[in-house]
Amino acid sequence: MTRESDKQPGGYGPPGDAPRLIGQGSVWIMVAAPTIWALHFVASYTFAATWCAKAGPSLAEPRWIIAMMGVICVALIGWLALLAVRRYGGVFVIFEEITESSERARDRFIGHVSLLLCILSAVAIVFTALPGFFFSTC
Amino acid sequence: MTQEIDLSKLPPAEPYDEARDKAQRKRLLDVWQEPPGWKIISAVNNDHVGKWYLLTSFAFFVFAGILALMIRAQLAVPDNDLFGQSLYNQLFTLHGTAMMFLFAVPIFEAVAILVLPEILGARDLPFPRLSAFGYWCFLIGGVFVCGSIFFGVAPDGGWFMYTPLSSNTDYSGLGADIWLLGLSFIEVSSIAAAVELIVGVLKCRPPGMRLNLMPLYCWYVLVVAGMILFAFPPLIAGDLLLEMERAFDWAFFDVDRGGDPLLWQHLFWIFGHPEVYIIFLPSIALIATMLPTFANRPMVGHSWIVLSAVGVAFLSFGLWVHHMFTTGLPEISLSFFSAASEAVAVPTGIQIFCFIATMLVSKVRASVPMLFAGGALAIFVFGGLTGVMVALVPFDWQAHDSYFVVAHLHYTLIGGMLFPLFAGIHYWYPFVTQKAMSDRLGTWSFWLMFGGFNLAFLPMHWTGVMGMPRRVWTYDVTDGWAVLNMVSTVGAFVFAAGFAVLAVNVLWPRGRQPLVERNHWNAGTMEWVAEVPDKPWGIRSIPYIHTRYPLWEQPDLMGQIDRGEWFLPDAEEGKRELIVTDILDARPLYVQRVGGPTFLTIGSAVCLGAVFILATYHLWALTLAFGVGFIGFTLWWLWTGTSEIPERPEKYAGRGLTLPTYAQGNRSPGWWAVFITMTGDLTAFMGLVFSYFFYWTALPDFFPSADQIPGISWLLLGLVGLVAGWLMTVAARRLLGEGRRGMAVGLLCGSVPVGFAGLGAWCLAAWQAGLDPTAQSFDAMVWMLILWMGLHLLLNALMQLYVAARILARICTPDYRADLMNLTLFTHFLALTAVVIFALLAIFPMLMGAA
Repeated sequence: MTRESDKQPGGYGPPGDAPRLIGQGSVWIMVAAPTIWALHFVASYTFAATWCAKAGPSLAEPRWIIAMMGVICVALIGWLALLAVRRYGGVFVIFEEITESSERARDRFIGHVSLLLCILSAVAIVFTALPGFFFSTC
Repeated sequence: MTQEIDLSKLPPAEPYDEARDKAQRKRLLDVWQEPPGWKIISAVNNDHVGKWYLLTSFAFFVFAGILALMIRAQLAVPDNDLFGQSLYNQLFTLHGTAMMFLFAVPIFEAVAILVLPEILGARDLPFPRLSAFGYWCFLIGGVFVCGSIFFGVAPDGGWFMYTPLSSNTDYSGLGADIWLLGLSFIEVSSIAAAVELIVGVLKCRPPGMRLNLMPLYCWYVLVVAGMILFAFPPLIAGDLLLEMERAFDWAFFDVDRGGDPLLWQHLFWIFGHPEVYIIFLPSIALIATMLPTFANRPMVGHSWIVLSAVGVAFLSFGLWVHHMFTTGLPEISLSFFSAASEAVAVPTGIQIFCFIATMLVSKVRASVPMLFAGGALAIFVFGGLTGVMVALVPFDWQAHDSYFVVAHLHYTLIGGMLFPLFAGIHYWYPFVTQKAMSDRLGTWSFWLMFGGFNLAFLPMHWTGVMGMPRRVWTYDVTDGWAVLNMVSTVGAFVFAAGFAVLAVNVLWPRGRQPLVERNHWNAGTMEWVAEVPDKPWGIRSIPYIHTRYPLWEQPDLMGQIDRGEWFLPDAEEGKRELIVTDILDARPLYVQRVGGPTFLTIGSAVCLGAVFILATYHLWALTLAFGVGFIGFTLWWLWTGTSEIPERPEKYAGRGLTLPTYAQGNRSPGWWAVFITMTGDLTAFMGLVFSYFFYWTALPDFFPSADQIPGISWLLLGLVGLVAGWLMTVAARRLLGEGRRGMAVGLLCGSVPVGFAGLGAWCLAAWQAGLDPTAQSFDAMVWMLILWMGLHLLLNALMQLYVAARILARICTPDYRADLMNLTLFTHFLALTAVVIFALLAIFPMLMGAA
């Protein structure tokens, strides 16, 4: 039930300041890509550790699982990058000057940083997946 | 889209009236004035607490530095017997411990508490009393840990306290307990500061300071405080396991009883590696803040630095095993961490390139802060490069535990943390004291330290490669390390001389020296708006910000602020007030009232300190007594200082803006503080979950026979009780909102026994299965998870009764029910924890076919 004291002051703020998900006007898209990297990293590490402890020294089979995980995660990040460009208006520029004081500029800034983080996270995921192809045993 | 007021089209300020200005200034002064005389220790203003924090951290730095000089004196010549071996072990352990836990991390909090509110154009941080509490915890814990060396009982197991050396009481005495309990206590203050700083950056920005306009320093603070929240709790979980083994003989690290010493290394380094970046990022943030000032232009690649800070923060959590390359983990695991260790160099490099680019495109003004910043970059880049070397597994196998690593870590930490900090000291000294430092002494101290540092640590790369292990007490003349060690020792003393010059420069009494002019360096960030001489209120009126460098890009901003033309120029109600804004665009949401000077936080910190100190000596009765004292002081502090019902629901903040004076749910900083604290708590819990799965992977027979697995029926019953307790709280929130106070109080009080009954059922399940925590790691793990739940239930019970009492006292009402909302948020986390524990105790063994 909404009470008088729950209401926003007339027109000053958004209805509730709850963290929105990665739809437009949210900061969560910034951490989404690195979070995928983190999940991928933990999954790869856990999977390899469990495999080596419980299954055996050959890495021939898990190699493809590690590769698949990498591909899926990079694809997810690609989708996030698309979102950052399309919905937030993120651009890839070196000399960033998004200093205008408007909601749209804030969105473009978040989109731009998210895009950069997507690239970094994708590179880091490739880094993590590479060893899977060089090692044949634990 | 949401309806939005255009802050740039506010009505004009009222014409200046000198009498009004004077009256407002007087009222502000009355409210923000620090208490006179000795009572100043009860002050909670960020400028006081920040200064104390800074000086205390530096005191510990000097202490740890003296220990370092003693180490170097001992190693100066071969076969030296200046200090005994036992004392030497204490020296290097305490040197590392104090530098890391009592200097490097607290100094971040100190600087942030001191300058963050000013950079944000805020009067204070959202929870000033929490900062004060954190400071007193830090002081007490630090003195306790450092003081131990004067009694010959300092920790001596190395600053990372590896088990089984530290878990077996035959090999390690009181020192290990002092380390564990003393540092756990200090971690409390770190997490308190992290909560404070995150909420500060997210919710206390000045109106209009959108995310794209937020200064780089704030980004770094946000990122680092977030890292603390995920890095420190696993260590707290590790401390808990280790102390339970030391004090009560629970089987966590003892191989004979199914424990595993490697678990400690994991938990320690999951904390320890991010910690390196927790130390490094805030210092590099100081460079990022002062560089634009001296370059006289905005930072090149502002957003790239944000990228780099966020990227480093994440990647740094994937590096911990590179401290464990020689422990015999599968090579494939090592290579994941090696890859991440290489990857982290990418974002780290990006921010360095941004700095260089900014300097290249402008004409940098020569100054002492820039001298230190330049030296910092040179040293750090060198240390970073050796870091890339040791990130490679084969190289690390050669260099591990040798002086090469000692050299590497000092290059990164002194270059990445200490020199930028010294640059910051020179830069902000006029801001804090309104006096200028001596440039001559500054230059002297820089060159002495820069030269001394390289003289001391560069040769260590060779001593390491020549085979000198770290932490050796002495060495033989035939080892061939004598000359290099002597050079290092001379360098260390030159470095110390440089620091002494800096200390003299900082502490020199400057009573008669003229005050500096305002905005001494012609900077663009808000902290330089402070009046000279300084006023206790932080900022005269809180302006509307619409640029990244307001003092450069918003003409006459200083004058407008001074004339009180912006928000909250007055303190008519005699209360300390801040404006809370929203996360994305900093739209003003409400006026928050914060607490003033108090002794309650000191009482609270002293009691909590006594609890940790007495527990070290196993004086359980006294520990309990002080525990009760701590609860008493804390409840008193909360009851009298938080969620007060305002005298009227809204107030006029100036410039046509009327704001509410109370907020609850996710609009109030308190709610965010609970959310953030509980995220940290959940991380600590994840540390325990990690331990559980670690045992499961590492031990072939972690699960005992089926009859020793706790029975599912009791476990399920327990879960039902715990979930019911949570639902009752949720229902109470709803009922109170509908005005049914009696029902709400009944549910809150009733949820306490229901929750405990649930816990009882779990205990019964474990007891019936005959689990003995001192016998096997599985048993110990099960009891630890139940104990974790129990500790949280105790806290929960206190809070339920507290809120019930608040409802009865009509401080928590249907309209003003922030307390109950925060409590409900807490119980959400509790319910999640209960479900996960149930899954670990009942479901997972069943899935694995053990039950």
